[in-house]
Amino acid sequence: MSRVAEPTPPTGPASGIPGVPGAPATPAQSIYRTSRGRAKTSLFAHGEPMVWLTGGALALAIFMILGLLSLIFVQGMKTFWPAPVVQVRTHAGATMMGEVTRVDHFVPTAQNYIDGAKTGNAAAPATQPGSTEAPAPVRRRLIRTGNFELTNTHYTWVSDFEIAEETLPAWAMVVERTTWGRFYGVPEAFLVDGKVETTGAEETWKRMKGVRAELEARLDARHVLETDEIGRVNGAIEAARLALHGVELREGASSPAYAAEKTHFDDIKKRSNDEFAAITVRINDLNRDNDRYKVVMRTAAGQEARLVAAEIVRAYPANQLSFLQKVGVYLSRWWEFLWDEPREANSEGGVFPAIFGTIVMTLLMSVAVVPLGVLAALYLREYARAGLIVSMVRIAVNNLAGVPSIVFGVFGLGFFCYIIGAGIDQVLFETSLPNPTFGKGGLLWASFTLALLTLPVVIVATEEALAAVPGSMREGSYACGASKWQTIHRIVLPRALPGIMTGMILAMARGAGEVAPLMLVGAVKLAPELPIDATGPFIHPQRSFMHLGFHIFDLAFQSPNSEAAKPMVFTTTLLLIALVAALNITAIWIRTRLRRKFVNNQF
Amino acid sequence: MLRSAATWMMTVVAGLSAVTAVQAEVKVDAKLPEYKAVEGVSGNIKSIGSDTMNNLMTLWAEGFKKAYPSVQVEIEGKGSATAPPALIEGTATFGPMSREMKAKEIDDFEKKFGYKPTGLGTSIDMLAIYVHKDNPIKGLTLAQIDAIFSKTRKRGGAEAITKWGQLGLTGEWADKPISLYGRNSASGTYGYFKEHVLGKGDFSDSVKEQPGSSSVVQGIASDKYGIGYSGIGYKTADVLAVALSADGKTTPVTAEPKNGYSGEYPLSRFLYLYVNAKPGAKLDPLRQEFIRYVFSKQGQEVVVKDGYLPLPADVAKENLKAIGVESK
Repeated sequence: MSRVAEPTPPTGPASGIPGVPGAPATPAQSIYRTSRGRAKTSLFAHGEPMVWLTGGALALAIFMILGLLSLIFVQGMKTFWPAPVVQVRTHAGATMMGEVTRVDHFVPTAQNYIDGAKTGNAAAPATQPGSTEAPAPVRRRLIRTGNFELTNTHYTWVSDFEIAEETLPAWAMVVERTTWGRFYGVPEAFLVDGKVETTGAEETWKRMKGVRAELEARLDARHVLETDEIGRVNGAIEAARLALHGVELREGASSPAYAAEKTHFDDIKKRSNDEFAAITVRINDLNRDNDRYKVVMRTAAGQEARLVAAEIVRAYPANQLSFLQKVGVYLSRWWEFLWDEPREANSEGGVFPAIFGTIVMTLLMSVAVVPLGVLAALYLREYARAGLIVSMVRIAVNNLAGVPSIVFGVFGLGFFCYIIGAGIDQVLFETSLPNPTFGKGGLLWASFTLALLTLPVVIVATEEALAAVPGSMREGSYACGASKWQTIHRIVLPRALPGIMTGMILAMARGAGEVAPLMLVGAVKLAPELPIDATGPFIHPQRSFMHLGFHIFDLAFQSPNSEAAKPMVFTTTLLLIALVAALNITAIWIRTRLRRKFVNNQF
Repeated sequence: MLRSAATWMMTVVAGLSAVTAVQAEVKVDAKLPEYKAVEGVSGNIKSIGSDTMNNLMTLWAEGFKKAYPSVQVEIEGKGSATAPPALIEGTATFGPMSREMKAKEIDDFEKKFGYKPTGLGTSIDMLAIYVHKDNPIKGLTLAQIDAIFSKTRKRGGAEAITKWGQLGLTGEWADKPISLYGRNSASGTYGYFKEHVLGKGDFSDSVKEQPGSSSVVQGIASDKYGIGYSGIGYKTADVLAVALSADGKTTPVTAEPKNGYSGEYPLSRFLYLYVNAKPGAKLDPLRQEFIRYVFSKQGQEVVVKDGYLPLPADVAKENLKAIGVESK
């Protein structure tokens, strides 16, 4: 707007309307006149519409990006917030308890009226059958009622007119368990070895909290036994087996050396089995000690349930929580989400294996793609003679960027898994055939496939960066007697490094968000074993892995309890975006450091 | 080893006459054996196959890992059609399928190994026809469903059904078009539906093919005029499972457990677990124990948890015997 006002000549008496002498020329009139006068000649030349068009396009883009991000952010952040537990009794006589998850409005039908009338519900709002008057929409709420083992359903819709009474019971507890999903009920008694120790809601809840630390210590101990100890024993067996196989390959299966090694192996195996048995006994002891504690809960419908205290992940009296306690529940759910393994077919628990898989896969991909891409770009830009072939290679690289990612997935499956992987299996892992080791989808092949996918990005970015290095610098280097490679290595590459890093950042962002090819070459629904762990040889690039992007797909389209999975989709998406942003910010930080280093090294 | 679904179904019915008390609430047969962990089980389980059974396999694997923490599991479920090639290539230890293997798939397997794969009926699913929760429809016949979903109408429907009014709905529903949801062709549910409902006819072009069973249900949940098919384990509060009648003469049967067991519900089917088991040879401990777990009390409780119907004890025993595993 200021551009319009700026060239406007100052208004004076002389520029008044000629036909009306003495009429005071208001500023508004003069601006109107001037701008109309200009518009005749130069509306487009002036550029005003283009400013609006370009600015509008930017505003629209920002609006859409912010809209999407804030939708994901708001939906993703509120998933774990504890809601109050309502108890409703319907006119039909059913009582249920749970958290309200969704509200919608619908127009009741004549059938609703008939059903309502049957239960003596005067509040049923639908019109009489035959009436022409349109019924007003009524509200209904989706209540998460849990208690799946008793009711075979997780959620129930309740219309407002069906409700006879609605309360917020003080001792309604939300219980999250390792199996069967959530439980809603009122605690009644605490049992030790089947004997009642305390009764009453408050006392029982106190006792539940009191025994928590003890239970958790045992669960932790069990976890250590199950992963570290058993992993160690497994590692020992595996090492012995490999040694035996090595002797077999070198000396043959009938040699005395093999026989000796075999005795050694059998010995280790026997010892390991004994160790396994000892560990199993310890695990069983821990389980038995934990299973002594049980909590008796009563559901809203009046059914009694005995919950094993050790299977309770989290419990809280939802209607008594203060704001700070709610924050506590919220944060502890986030903590579990970030650091725990998934449970119940991925619909509960955490996503740590998926986070880990995504990061390791992306880093491995970067390690594979950057050297290859940079070397290829160096040859294209520095060594190759410009001509038809180079142009064709460039066009091919650019076209590669437009190939659908699923095609890369198919290529990866056919080439890496079935040709290279099967070849490796033939040579190195013959003993475990027909079970494939590398001849199936895995972390390594997924990374390589994505490296191919992101290769054009790195090549193009590197070429641009190399082209931006001034020719005078190269010439100066040559003038000092440096060879071509010395010039590239000492002069060109350091200058181009920030640009190369930009290519890497773009490649990482593309790679971390890609899902379609991964479904073919190694991302799976459940693979709790991490590709890097404490059992030798510590890095397992052949293992299938979990990936956040695939996890989102799985939650959204394949979860058995899709209602509960929906908010988790948003939360997982939020996490994936945060992860990609974190990876990018790290790369940008490194780039800035490099740039500064480069600037400091100047004369 | 491979029996027809009909024979299996009869076995189930026979098994149930002994255990009659099946109420609305699904309970596992008390006579199923408890699973007890044994020594010397370790290794890697890889399952490739059915999407309907994806969660079931995952839950079994989780339960199995509790007994054997050192066992490694990987679960992949992109459709039943992916199971036979994986078993043939040796990339999978187990191939879960929501339909029986086709003759062609068995032949391919036999060509490579010289014997047939073993299919175990692990649990019972009722393929449900879902509509939106506000849909007032009372019941459908298979011929009507065929006329809705198919363009060939092998069940003899006179005309294609495209509007809810053609199914007898009145008021605002009468002139609303039916919106169709289905599965992609890799799915065993797709194959089962095509064979048992469409009489091997072709799907109509307007079926919106979904990548997973759950997305069919979600699609209908957000589309008031939608209809689609999926396993009963994917039912949510947002959809209704329509009562079905096989021939239109009998009253429509609801998708309730008791009707699934009795075989009255026309679309009951087994969910299979296929294994590469050489006849006469003993299975390795890993696979043997996993199968024993599946047919144990704990394994069948998992079936209930995932929304499907567990097997009666003697059918489970029969299955174990078929693959040469003793139930303990």
